Amino acid sequence: MAVLKEDLMVSLAENAVNQALKKGASEAEAYVYEGQATNIGIELGQISKTNRIIDRGLGIRVVASKTLGFAYTNVIDDPNAIESVIVRALNAAKASKPDPEWKGLPEKKPYASLEKTFDDKVVELESEELVNVASTMLNAAGQVDRRVFPIEGGIGGAYISNGIANSNGISGFDKGTIMECSMATLAKEGNAVTPVCFEFNASRSYEVDPVWVGKEAAKLAVSALKTKSVETKSTTLILTQFALQDLLAYTLINAVRADNVQRNQSPFKGKIGEKVASENLTIYDDGLFPGGLRTWAFDGEGVPHQKTAVIEKGVLCSFLYDSYSAKKEGKQSTGNAGRAGYLSTPSIDTTNFHVSPGDRTSDEMISEVDDGLIIYYLQGAHSSNPVSGEFSVVATPAWKIKKGEIIHSSRGVMLAGNIFEVLKNVSLVGGNERQIGQLISPWIQVENVRVIGK
Amino acid sequence: MNDLLTKINNVATQKFGAQYAEARAQKMYKTMLTLKEERVEAAKQGIENGVALRVLVNGAWGFASVGSLDRDILEGAVSDACRMAKMASSRLKTPIKLAKAKVVTDRVESKPKKNPVRIQMKEKIKTALTVNKTSLAFDKRVKSCTVDYLDLTGTSYFVNSEGTSIEQDKLYVWARITASAQSEGVFTHSREEIGSTAGYEIFDEQTPEDIGEKVAKRAIEQLSAKSLKGGKFPVVLGPSVVGVFVHEAFGHLAEADLALSGGVLAGNLGKKVGSDLVTFYDDGTIEGSFGAFKYDDEGVQTQRTLLIKDGEVAGLMHNRETAQKFSAELTGNARAEDFRVEPIIRMRCTYMEPRDQSFEELVEKVKQGYYLKSFRGGQANLDGTFQVGIQEGYEIVNGEVGAPVRDASISGNTLETLHKVDAVGKDFLLDAGRCGKGQTAFVCDGGPHIRVKEVVVGGST
Repeated sequence: MAVLKEDLMVSLAENAVNQALKKGASEAEAYVYEGQATNIGIELGQISKTNRIIDRGLGIRVVASKTLGFAYTNVIDDPNAIESVIVRALNAAKASKPDPEWKGLPEKKPYASLEKTFDDKVVELESEELVNVASTMLNAAGQVDRRVFPIEGGIGGAYISNGIANSNGISGFDKGTIMECSMATLAKEGNAVTPVCFEFNASRSYEVDPVWVGKEAAKLAVSALKTKSVETKSTTLILTQFALQDLLAYTLINAVRADNVQRNQSPFKGKIGEKVASENLTIYDDGLFPGGLRTWAFDGEGVPHQKTAVIEKGVLCSFLYDSYSAKKEGKQSTGNAGRAGYLSTPSIDTTNFHVSPGDRTSDEMISEVDDGLIIYYLQGAHSSNPVSGEFSVVATPAWKIKKGEIIHSSRGVMLAGNIFEVLKNVSLVGGNERQIGQLISPWIQVENVRVIGK
Repeated sequence: MNDLLTKINNVATQKFGAQYAEARAQKMYKTMLTLKEERVEAAKQGIENGVALRVLVNGAWGFASVGSLDRDILEGAVSDACRMAKMASSRLKTPIKLAKAKVVTDRVESKPKKNPVRIQMKEKIKTALTVNKTSLAFDKRVKSCTVDYLDLTGTSYFVNSEGTSIEQDKLYVWARITASAQSEGVFTHSREEIGSTAGYEIFDEQTPEDIGEKVAKRAIEQLSAKSLKGGKFPVVLGPSVVGVFVHEAFGHLAEADLALSGGVLAGNLGKKVGSDLVTFYDDGTIEGSFGAFKYDDEGVQTQRTLLIKDGEVAGLMHNRETAQKFSAELTGNARAEDFRVEPIIRMRCTYMEPRDQSFEELVEKVKQGYYLKSFRGGQANLDGTFQVGIQEGYEIVNGEVGAPVRDASISGNTLETLHKVDAVGKDFLLDAGRCGKGQTAFVCDGGPHIRVKEVVVGGST
């Protein structure tokens, strides 16, 4: 199915806003989303499934006497359906309770032009080509070691577009592409099974390296076969991006959301300008990062994306705002209103959460550790305390580093502590950055983390 | 509707030679609320109509999803699915086959005492506000309370090329309540979830006042909790922790797709993997429970499936593809979150069977250990490593439950840990929850209190 054109997406949003105002809304905002994705899936060691998913919809937010209503529909080709969704949003607002702190939808501001967020080649993907790429990845994994079993994986491309309009004159359209290939493996020897090991490539353009993904996923699984227990003690850790993303997403990122700060749910409240982390640590939220997986012209409310300093050399600089939390403090939104397509109202989220890199390579980092662990994957990070930052998780697996070399893996190693203490103990930030989810980061080395061995 | 779906399936089988085709349509309505403190962030309503089309061509799957009920668009989508499946089949080593399923024609109606569709939005807001107010009024150290409410109602339609034709009402009522408390630099967090497939009457059984108080009380109690010592300890687990343990540590390994992926259970069918006290079920038939339904998303009737009996692995949870591979009976565990995704093997209501011990009997034999009462998240790995986070726990010293401990988790290897279950309580409780496996599924889990001789407890001191 052909993708919806810019002018159609924008006029759908604008018309919905105008209709809502006519029907009695004092303010209105409409968000139109389209996603088209094609995937080839690997399951149990073979290419056996394919899918093509087309999702479109419109979500409308209305304000009537300081009460908010929201409704959405995925039936957008029928004017009656749009009209009925507007009525539903207004009815929802009527039933709701006024919010005395509501200070209006955001105002219009110019958008930056973006680099490397759209690639025609991804839109025009042929399934035959995808099958070939998947097959290349599968073969690359299989050639590493016969003890490796590729459990699942796949390759796919997606086209996403967003249109937005509001009653303050905001009117925007942005489109982008994402390409991803991934492979999950485990290795088996006798009765021993390794934890699941995983690698992937994700890019805004048609740039993936299926051979690297297949090989790396397989190599990790093989290296997890040789396992020995480690002792219970406080030790040095190298956190790779997988582990860091998992930990930060459920702890630090909650703490820098302005709404959590305003609601007394963040230990960072009142600490702007104070040192909250090691001076080795600088973090920006950068919604304009070239080629970033979360790089878009505007956020879920049509506010332009920007680059915001969150932590500079360990000092807390700013929280992340949407327009509601910003207006509450008389500030400007930092363009951090996230949105699940047309299905939800906006809520604060990171864009690309970027930890500034240093200059060490992966090999240099490992070679400089005398005694410690390197952590790839974590289990249970989502059970961290989202307010206090306390975590108690399992490394699946951890690899032991002794005198600058990885000597064996270890199963069932638990890590426990408080993320805000961990951030103060960052001793080194590597130069090997990559993006995983919202996080763009190199590996980081931290000292003195409690490890519970078996 | 089902005539339209039959025509679309016919395109797949007649024009593209598909061996099998299924069409699953939905017309669903959602009402959602988010309340933060006493502010209604937004009252939300949604409509989601769409069709999922799945075909098997030369032994490979093709799947297409569109948010439309238009015949031309659906014919285009099913044609795409067939072409892509054919393309993928070129590299197949083992063509996919499906276990034989009974051909069914049925209409399943939901019969709630209180249909959420007939409850006014104002009333729903009032319920959520009561939870909120009760929680905040409990103690002034409670700083925030968030209530998320969802009801999902509508009809799903299922037709396959073998003649099965089902129309099934869907009804879910769900709420998640979180509260945080703060005092003298200590921050705590507490959460509860409730869910039902019966109707809005869930709030008569679990009143908004009770829920609000429960969440707030835990957040306050945790303020004085201390960090615990990490290491190996005997533990008594509460029903909610047992439920998550059964679900995460054993349940996922008993999903046949994960067993085939190399999970540790595949080679253990019929073998003893736990103590005699260990019996687990996955049950889709408990009326009103959050994981209940009559037919799964492959049109197979749900059942109560015995997973482990007196410590011996009795069965796995299947879809039609894995049942064929294992030559096993169908269990009706294929579920899809909505029309956007393919059905995969999911749990329903997973629980441990109670035995004969009282809570006091479980605790009295523990010299130095922990009573872990309520969980916050859990996760499993195919090698049998599990982790369950704890939001409410207590020390046990010389057979007595003592001071609260904070933010711990337990971990271990499932097959080792099941052997260490040395006493099982006579009480029984089920909890509603949601499970993530790429898609979200509404599930239920639980059991009695139990004692485990030894697990690794992750603490920071």
